[in-house]
Amino acid sequence: MKKIIYILAVTTSLMSFYGCQKWKGESTDIYSYTPPAASPVDASKPLSCTTANTVIPVKGTMLSGKTYTVNDGCDVVINATDTLLMQPGVTLNMGVHSSLIVLGTLVSNGSKDQPNYITNPGNIKYDAPDAIAQKADSAYVGRWKGIVGGPTCNLMVLRWTHVEFAGYTEGKATSTIAGSGTGNQYSILFANYKGSFIMEDSWLYGGVDDPIRISAGKVAFFRNTFEKNGALGGDCLNVKGGTVGTMAYNTFIGTATNGQKASNKGQATGAPQTNVVMYNNTFISGGYRQTQSGRGGCINYEEGAAGMYYNNVAINCKFGYRVVGSPVADIAHLSYGSNYQWADSLSVANQFYPTGYITQPQTTDIPSITTSAKYLPAGYKLGDIYDGTDVVQKNNPMFVNFPLPTTGHPLASYNAMSTFNFHLQASSPLVGKGNTSIVPLIVVPLDKIYGLSDATPPGRDLGSYQLDGSGNKH
Amino acid sequence: MAYPYYFKKIILLLLFIAATCTFAFAQEIKGKVLDAKTSEPLTGATIEIEQAGVKRYTSANLNGNFSFKNLKPGNYRVSSKYIGYVSSAPVEVSVRDGQTVATQNILLKDASTLVNEVVVAGQGNRESDRSARSLEKNAPMVENILSAKTIQLLPDVTVANALQRVSGVTIQRSASGEGRYAIIRGMDQRYNSTLVNGIKIPSPDPAYRFVPMDIFPSEMLERLEVIKALTPSMEGDAIGGAMNLVMKSAPDHFILSANLSGGFSTLFSNNRPFISFKASPNSKSPAAINGNGYGATFADFNNTAITSDKNQTSPFSSTAGLTIGNRFLNNKLGVVLSGSYQNIYRGSNSKELTPNAQPSPLPLANSPQFSDAYDRTYSVQTQRLGIHNKIDYIFDSKNKISLYNLYIHQNEYESRMTSDTLGLGLNSTLLNKQITISNRSQLTRQDIYNSTLHGDHTLSNLIRVNWDGVYSIAKRSQPDRTEFAYDANRSLNSSGAITAEVDNNTKLSHHWESNQDKDFAGYGNIILTPKIGNLNAEIAIGGLYRHKNRNADYITYSLNGGKATLFSNNFSSIPFAFTTAADGIGSNNPDLQNNYTVKEDDNAEYIQLKFNPFEKLQILGGVRVENTSQSYATQSPATVTQRSGSIKYTDVLPSIHLKYAIADNQNIRASYNASISRPGFGEIVPYKITGEYFDQVGNPFLKHITADNYDARYEFFSGSSDQLLIGSFYKKIYNPIEFFVVRDGGPSSQVIKPQNDDGNATNYGFEALATKYFGVIGFSLNYTYTNSKITTSKLLYYNDPTLGLQQKSVDQTRPLQGQAKNVGNASILFKSGKLGLDIQVAFVYTGERLTQVSPYANLDFYQHAYNQLDFSFEKNIVKRLSFYGKINNLTNAASKIYLKYPHGSLDAKQQEFIGKQDITAQTLVQSDYYKTLFLGGFRYKL
Repeated sequence: MKKIIYILAVTTSLMSFYGCQKWKGESTDIYSYTPPAASPVDASKPLSCTTANTVIPVKGTMLSGKTYTVNDGCDVVINATDTLLMQPGVTLNMGVHSSLIVLGTLVSNGSKDQPNYITNPGNIKYDAPDAIAQKADSAYVGRWKGIVGGPTCNLMVLRWTHVEFAGYTEGKATSTIAGSGTGNQYSILFANYKGSFIMEDSWLYGGVDDPIRISAGKVAFFRNTFEKNGALGGDCLNVKGGTVGTMAYNTFIGTATNGQKASNKGQATGAPQTNVVMYNNTFISGGYRQTQSGRGGCINYEEGAAGMYYNNVAINCKFGYRVVGSPVADIAHLSYGSNYQWADSLSVANQFYPTGYITQPQTTDIPSITTSAKYLPAGYKLGDIYDGTDVVQKNNPMFVNFPLPTTGHPLASYNAMSTFNFHLQASSPLVGKGNTSIVPLIVVPLDKIYGLSDATPPGRDLGSYQLDGSGNKH
Repeated sequence: MAYPYYFKKIILLLLFIAATCTFAFAQEIKGKVLDAKTSEPLTGATIEIEQAGVKRYTSANLNGNFSFKNLKPGNYRVSSKYIGYVSSAPVEVSVRDGQTVATQNILLKDASTLVNEVVVAGQGNRESDRSARSLEKNAPMVENILSAKTIQLLPDVTVANALQRVSGVTIQRSASGEGRYAIIRGMDQRYNSTLVNGIKIPSPDPAYRFVPMDIFPSEMLERLEVIKALTPSMEGDAIGGAMNLVMKSAPDHFILSANLSGGFSTLFSNNRPFISFKASPNSKSPAAINGNGYGATFADFNNTAITSDKNQTSPFSSTAGLTIGNRFLNNKLGVVLSGSYQNIYRGSNSKELTPNAQPSPLPLANSPQFSDAYDRTYSVQTQRLGIHNKIDYIFDSKNKISLYNLYIHQNEYESRMTSDTLGLGLNSTLLNKQITISNRSQLTRQDIYNSTLHGDHTLSNLIRVNWDGVYSIAKRSQPDRTEFAYDANRSLNSSGAITAEVDNNTKLSHHWESNQDKDFAGYGNIILTPKIGNLNAEIAIGGLYRHKNRNADYITYSLNGGKATLFSNNFSSIPFAFTTAADGIGSNNPDLQNNYTVKEDDNAEYIQLKFNPFEKLQILGGVRVENTSQSYATQSPATVTQRSGSIKYTDVLPSIHLKYAIADNQNIRASYNASISRPGFGEIVPYKITGEYFDQVGNPFLKHITADNYDARYEFFSGSSDQLLIGSFYKKIYNPIEFFVVRDGGPSSQVIKPQNDDGNATNYGFEALATKYFGVIGFSLNYTYTNSKITTSKLLYYNDPTLGLQQKSVDQTRPLQGQAKNVGNASILFKSGKLGLDIQVAFVYTGERLTQVSPYANLDFYQHAYNQLDFSFEKNIVKRLSFYGKINNLTNAASKIYLKYPHGSLDAKQQEFIGKQDITAQTLVQSDYYKTLFLGGFRYKL
């Protein structure tokens, strides 16, 4: 009884306290008018086309909470002077072999609570290692053709947006409309060095060739997650001549070749030199679906590309950070350091500094380049073969849920986030090792909707997840 | 090196020939055999002397001279006969003791002048050098002619190879070293046209209008004309020149000739076998058989072309030819039928560095960056069959018709073995190599059929009419080109030994392409010969109409064995399949734009006037109007821009040709003519084909090329076959079509596109040709200097100290593609009618020339000066039978292509791959070796 009285007393006092708070408060209910979308896209019936003419021109707004369907084989086209805005919570179901061609502006403005989906419906995700044979996995099939940015696309924003199951060969008709060149199998293509491509807090799942190809453009990739990218080759973020910007806090698991690759190949007259700053990215099991030799597994700079890469983490990637000597990267304008690598096996450790290339070991690298007499030996020249025995399974990164060394599956089988968690435990040797003095290269507009909403600066912990909760939010 | 051995053989042969020549000094009868009308020497005429029933024979040499040495004193009856001439009545010549030489000239009358005015001179006459020289001399325009006699003795068996002996002509070779296209005065094949008996024939080429000249066996020709300035009566689409193949025509008496030969190429041996294959039985693609909606699977394909590969150590080449002709019905009906068959095995060994689409800005601006190192061997078997037939019927002296039929068929079996080291420096280093090994078997079938009905009618003394009705087909197909490739991924240790090799990424492709041109054409000319004042004039009015239908089909099926499947040299175990089943459907073919039809209607009208204002000056002038109307349609869907279109244009082409006869045997000529060059069908259709370095696309907005051509020439004809020609030319070319690299979407997607250059091109130069015979030995030399200029915008990729790497356009002046500044031929002939022996040593020099234009400044590809030495001979064995031999490329000359970039400046990683270099200031990027080809056989002539 005494107990009950006690509880009642506490409850009453709490309620009165709360009541006091309530009394103290103030209530506003001011009428706010949001004009209705001027030209909402009709969600009541599928966007359809004919065999003879596959084009569906679309502009205006896709409304929050609605699901839009594009029929099989159709090319949805945003014309050069038009904009398509997808409000938060839109699902765009792309039919088999359909495409989304952006000649004007595309903004997919998802939010953390209401992410958007641009996907092909009806596919099952098998994310646990070896849950499905690669051949049978619809992630690598390319159900639809992807988002094709033409040479006039001035702005493409993907925010809190899932892009899934794309990468089917564009084919002549689609590529002619997009002006993008034939044979492409990209999930996303952007090709205007005067335009901006922004991808933040988004997800890219599956893909056939390079999942994202930036032929040229101003870019910002922040805090995204990439899974199962590239079927049997393809660099996940593959940027070419005339690309400038930043890639930070991205997580890549099981990309076919590299996670991030920069090249100045094909720089157009009038376009700037490729210059990409990469920091605080995490790469897990990269490079195993590339069947050709020596292609890389995490970060790659080649053919006249300038920039820097710091604070990155590569776990069991087939090849380490690769700087190419021929066609040579712009090594006079390329700096790097504070990059971490982990190897379950000797073959991985032997390629921390890929043989045959010119990656310069840095004193800030982990594991330390002075670990032993073998790693690295006296007289080591860039690209030499060395013995990595002494750095196998050293400096365990202490992820929240990804035990290392891995057990039960080949390294090539870790292709999706599944239940893994690459956040760091407080005791991780990666904590506090970051170089925070580097400056992101922001050339895209900063804007909550029509630009980059948050340019997270370099973090103190290595990799894409920070102990303080900043960085990748997934 | 095997060739010194053959060298020895040849020297032995030469010694043997020399030993058979005997020289004696005693009484002699000598003289000349001359044409009774023109006093031209009759080379090859047979001279007979008879004394008391004992006969001796000899034949007249190149100057018409003959002599009988070592004679006993006494009386001889001398007579002569020659094909196409009436035999001379015997003349008594007496040689007295003490008199060393008796001279007796013989005049022969042309048989044709007696038979019928309309029947042209006999076979032996028309095919001779003398006849060729006389045609050159009397032609109203600038031209060069090779006679059948000359061609027969050449070391060449195809028209393409024979063309390189003509002044001002260079040839472009196919992969096996066989000449294929002619470049006339520095103007590449697009600027030249091919005529058969003056009628333009369609081309079996998949993209262009020019005809591959290697499909014509040279022995079918009566003569080969290269016409360098056009008259109004000729079709106006030749800027470099027109090649007119005049085929053998009906003789005035029974003729029969046959030849048979065999030979081999020294390229092939145990270590380097010739690879032969059986062609795939699938002449049509699954889509062609089952419709475009049909989904093909692996089971639809047959891989015989790859699995039937067989090594042959020394395949035997053979050729055969037969010509029969006669006149019937009181000489009114003439028939000639000629067939030629060749089965030749050739090949080449080729090494090539392929540059990246884009060079490197470091260390120097536009430093070449190589992506691939190719090592290729080609084995090529070419079967050519040529049949032609001409029937003429002479109604009376005023009316004559003829029907001409030509059928040419060529099968070319090409087996190409490639080892391609990819991504030099990028993906292949000394420690890691990715090598794509591929085996391609390709059969190319080409057919040309032409049928021309021709009529000549003399309506009165003033009016003559002639007409032609023409039907032609040209076809080409590559049925089921099959290619198998896989990647060999090699890891090497620091000493270069292979530590691991993974073979995977097996790929199989089946490709079908075919195209066909069908032409219907009608030609009509009215020739008036009025007297204006007291001048004889000739006015010709005429025109032509041509309707052309072209269609092209193109489909590729790409299968793969799964990138992850390992390859262990067992082709049949690979689980080939399409990446997605939909790729097997015809209508998903990414090259639908390559399936097209083109219709073209051309009509042309002209008027030309020829007169001599005074005796020595001939003026020919006039104007021609050509109307071209084209339309094309592809199978691309409605959303594809440029899927169909039509193009029309009209050209007015004036010309004037002056010929001033300084003397009977000397002319000075000057001429001007305007001409055009129409873009190829594959260029105007928005077509896309896989090229060597870049894919190539069409451009419907191409304008046709026009040109102003100026020519001057001095000519001196002496003796029967001697000549001296000195000429010069100047051409201004408007809207020249040049190839530019353009971005086709992404950076890895750059394509070559033909575009009209804003700047006009100029091309000028001079030619000299001299042929002189000294008794049995003749020398022939020609030399052409050409200087062409075009300025185009090119890319410069450089390192700017402040802006970093940058690319900009710069203007660069260069020669036209294919043009060599210096081109020459030299040949030495030995012709002895007495020994029945002809020998020719022929040398061709082609100076440095631009072979491939790069989109980047200073990175054009130049072929190094090329020398080729050939040898041929023919020896009479018995009366009508002779033995002959042809040896090509005695010195195993290589075709080498360079970039003008010092190879020492390439980065260290590329140095590992560039192979042996021989010029410090340049980089050798391609070398092709063909080795020596031998052919020997017998010829029978009735």
